[in-house]
Amino acid sequence: MFTVLLIVHGLLAVALLGAITHQAASALWPVTRPAGSFTGRFRAVAAPGYANAIVLLYLATFMLGGIIYTEYRIFIRPLVEDLRAWSAFGAFELKEHFAAIGMGMLPAYWYLWRRPPDGRARAVVTALLAFIVWWNFLTGHILNNIRGFGS
Amino acid sequence: MSARVAAFAVVFAVVYALAYLAAVENNWALVTYHPQLGEFGLGVEKAREGPAMYWFGWLITAGIIAALAGIVAALLPERATRFLRPALTWVVPLCAMLAFAWLLRTYFLR
Repeated sequence: MFTVLLIVHGLLAVALLGAITHQAASALWPVTRPAGSFTGRFRAVAAPGYANAIVLLYLATFMLGGIIYTEYRIFIRPLVEDLRAWSAFGAFELKEHFAAIGMGMLPAYWYLWRRPPDGRARAVVTALLAFIVWWNFLTGHILNNIRGFGS
Repeated sequence: MSARVAAFAVVFAVVYALAYLAAVENNWALVTYHPQLGEFGLGVEKAREGPAMYWFGWLITAGIIAALAGIVAALLPERATRFLRPALTWVVPLCAMLAFAWLLRTYFLR
């Protein structure tokens, strides 16, 4: 059961990672002329169209993560402590807090993408959310590797 | 997009980050989850069988405080919320993230 949830959580996180990375790149380094290169085309997406999907993906990933977290607390965290893998332990502690703070930013993020850009707020909020998503994705991946599948 | 939505969004982002940080630091958890038993308890409870999880409680505490603050801000006249700058939506959360990184630094310095 938790393995299935973990895989779905991971797949949603991959989709979220791709969407928000595209959007952040587009907001931070907007293309000024027709894109010819791979990086140019990567940034040339219609960024506002990603906002609703990103909010939904964040919420779904967060909720599944919350369910899986209970399993982590019982079976994985004690192992990480036994291994004295303190960096990984701290990274996960930050993951839970960053994810929570990202949740609180979602209404502002959604609002900022519903109106014309005004200063750098929209780009920076998106970049900060992208950082949170990347941190959480990599940390989850590392913790999953420490425990090992099915062990 | 109306000024009320803007006021709610900005205030929610700011207050949520601050309330969450305060909730974690002071353990103001509205609920406690006991994963070994699969049971929720109201408020902060000690571990019964297995560990006690307060994270859900911190989320709820921060969410309620931020939602109330956001609603109040949305109901205020526009001239009262004119000082709310969109930059606050990332400055305050970023400061909260840095505060958590500082509080948890010992795990990375061992």
